[in-house]
Amino acid sequence: MAGIFKTILAIIFIALISAGCASVGPESEIEKLDYKSRAVTRSDGAVHVSASVLSADESRDVYGVPLAKKGIQPVWIEVENRDNVAYWLLSPGLDPNFFPASEAAEAFATTHESETREVLEQRFSALAFHNPVPPGKTASGFVLTNLDKGVKIVQVDLVASGKSKSFSIFTIVPGFRSDYRARRVFIRELYTEDEIIDFTDDDSFRTALDALPCCATSEDGTRNGDPLNLVIVGGVDDAFPALVRRGWRPTEQTWTGSVLKMINSAMAGERYPYAPVSPLYLYDRPQDFALQKARDNIHQRNHLRLWLSPMRYQGKQVWVGQISRDIGTRFTIHSPYLTTHKIDPDVDEARTALLEDMAYSQSLVKLGLVKGVGAASKDAPRSNLTTDPYYTDGFRAVLMFDIHPTALTDIQFLPWEGPGGGFIDQNSRQVQP
Amino acid sequence: MSNAKLKPELLPGVPSRQAPQFAILISSLLLIVLGGCASWQTPPEFNDAVLRSRAVSGDVGGIKLNAAVLSSEDSQRMFGVNVNATGVQPVWIEVENSTNQVLWLLRAGTDPDLFSPLEVSWSFHKSFANETNAQLDDHFNEMSFQNPIAPGTTQSGIIFTNPHHYTRLLSIDILGQGQLFPFTLFLTVPDDKANASNIALDNMNQLIEAATDDYQDAGTFRTRLEQLPCCATSADGNEAGDPLNVILVGDLADIATALVRRDFRASMLELDNAQRLFGRKPDIVGRKAAMGGTPANWVRLWVAPFRYQGKAVFVAQAGRRQGWRLAEAEDQDMMLDPNVDEVRNFLVQDMLYSNGVSKIAYITGVGPTEPGELRDSLGGASYHTDGLRVVLFLVTRPLSLSDIQVLDWYPALRLQEIDAVKKIENDSN
Repeated sequence: MAGIFKTILAIIFIALISAGCASVGPESEIEKLDYKSRAVTRSDGAVHVSASVLSADESRDVYGVPLAKKGIQPVWIEVENRDNVAYWLLSPGLDPNFFPASEAAEAFATTHESETREVLEQRFSALAFHNPVPPGKTASGFVLTNLDKGVKIVQVDLVASGKSKSFSIFTIVPGFRSDYRARRVFIRELYTEDEIIDFTDDDSFRTALDALPCCATSEDGTRNGDPLNLVIVGGVDDAFPALVRRGWRPTEQTWTGSVLKMINSAMAGERYPYAPVSPLYLYDRPQDFALQKARDNIHQRNHLRLWLSPMRYQGKQVWVGQISRDIGTRFTIHSPYLTTHKIDPDVDEARTALLEDMAYSQSLVKLGLVKGVGAASKDAPRSNLTTDPYYTDGFRAVLMFDIHPTALTDIQFLPWEGPGGGFIDQNSRQVQP
Repeated sequence: MSNAKLKPELLPGVPSRQAPQFAILISSLLLIVLGGCASWQTPPEFNDAVLRSRAVSGDVGGIKLNAAVLSSEDSQRMFGVNVNATGVQPVWIEVENSTNQVLWLLRAGTDPDLFSPLEVSWSFHKSFANETNAQLDDHFNEMSFQNPIAPGTTQSGIIFTNPHHYTRLLSIDILGQGQLFPFTLFLTVPDDKANASNIALDNMNQLIEAATDDYQDAGTFRTRLEQLPCCATSADGNEAGDPLNVILVGDLADIATALVRRDFRASMLELDNAQRLFGRKPDIVGRKAAMGGTPANWVRLWVAPFRYQGKAVFVAQAGRRQGWRLAEAEDQDMMLDPNVDEVRNFLVQDMLYSNGVSKIAYITGVGPTEPGELRDSLGGASYHTDGLRVVLFLVTRPLSLSDIQVLDWYPALRLQEIDAVKKIENDSN
């Protein structure tokens, strides 16, 4: 039994070696700056927040111990409070599993015998972000998060009595083979001004969304892959923070090391949030950005792919995408890696689950359904590029986000399409004249 | 007590998700080689009388909810396979809609990492058995809970959740038209029945009922809280235990919901019994399910013999195990970390994200330790503290971060501000 297993692994390794590495873009100018100089700043009224994620080398220099080796990534945060009340920074907002300074110090107390626990704890405590930020003052310090690779969305929630402020800062983690495409999308413009169409009325926007292709395709565009069942209106300030708040994380670009890690993870059944997402094509390019929600382990990893479209809706970015639920890993001859994710054939289930999940994000303001995917029945399913069958009612979900918090019960339903009852359709009838 | 001993107790009879998957991988490889044989057959019509007999129900605004956790035996009978053995906890739900609205059960409110019916059935698929696999999928779809719930109808079915042990606190959010109907039910986990003593729910409700002193006025309530002892004690009352640094005010269901939303799970260990207050061991202990299955933070709660404006009051200890959460369990003792204030402050931050906290206040009562000095607790533990306890008021209505009021009971926060200014000035010099 073990012999068979080893043989299959050997085949996978050979396939990996022959598949080769994905190319990685050159280090950007931004990454050459020190962490304070490259910090990104956001403002809301009289409060200004700056944040920067430290590389493994930087965190070792600052803390004197190799934090990255224990999976710890310090995020430097500075809060300039010109308001007239004190604010508290909430560490669990950055990472629900963040590390208190004393615990992280204890992690190194046994391995670094040259330094006593007390010295380490004092240093870690002095470096930590200390609450509160008094009115008229500027405070800075580190919050110790779990290590993210490639890109990190730093969510800064500040609370005062009876009010709060939220900031989302999209950062590139230096020192990793990061998703170079993400840099292109978030740092440079993908489209010229002439190419961008800004829709201001709902009807013409709906018509444009109906007219999008049914599915993502193979690289040469000849074969259809997974259905484009998702449209996200919003961006770095509203849509992505909402996804991050509900546990969605940016992915690592597919490259050999990552695939190796995925195989290890599939064998051990461990949670590994950076399993790669294979490329699908739209607008003549692979997805600009992929997000995944790791659950218990690699076998349960929902993923979504997004492409920035040339459309805007009332000035906001419009992302076209695809969501499916991974229900396991299986062997395939349709991928150079010989493994692929088995998707739930009921793809609408994954779409509905995302809508429900986002309803809790406090940032979803409107949702609706449009046509364009084309229905496929359970008895005559279509299949994606790795021959996984799927069936669908043929609708794509449109989710509109905003930076100002919206309660679950205040989410509006666009009177567009509907599958016949409940959550969307019944509510949309209510708003129809 | 070593952590190695504690693990099986924390996860009683829990099939690890890793072992079955490894086994499934190996066995599916074997099947590929040897050729599969399909043995699954659609189970006979299911009689739900067993589930109804232990179902717990709740009523909110014309909606009746019944729910029960399935045992392994139930899942074998209903699905023809033991769903529980794959690390999934199936929960039966029935919604009776007597309103005139179409309702939608928001499954993400119950478990954001819920399993889909076909995801669960896929793990039972056999090689070279397409027809049987399709029947299995159909059966799982038919048995699963389906939205929407039309006015005047009753809808029932199974949702596939991540497991909770001993007692399942089930949160169900049902969305109507511009209205949310929240339910909180405590369900027995039948497979864990042997260990059901872990949550003495009836006992706690009796203690809450018996608390007759009901403070109406914030000032006298605050004084009463400040007069509580600094710490728990040993069983004989001679030695001081861990500090009582947290007070929770609210309905038991609201407090439990807030803790569960932030990944605390009921888990009482032998070492918790050493801490005594009001002449008894803690009424309930929550442990935060940290990464890698290691328990990091805990909250030990006692029902107080008094109430505030009709709401239950819990006196609690927030602490964390000393050491690194991912360290080898065998090397770690469950020793209290000396920095108890850090745990208390981060518990407050964690609870703010539960959407259940309406008010926060700080009071005295623990008594500060001198700078650089430690105060002894039980079992060789010691700690340092600023001497404050935090009071959190919890409600049912989902609140946002902007809705939280900070009460000015004690100038703790202003003192913290003064300290913060000092630190900023020192750092810049």
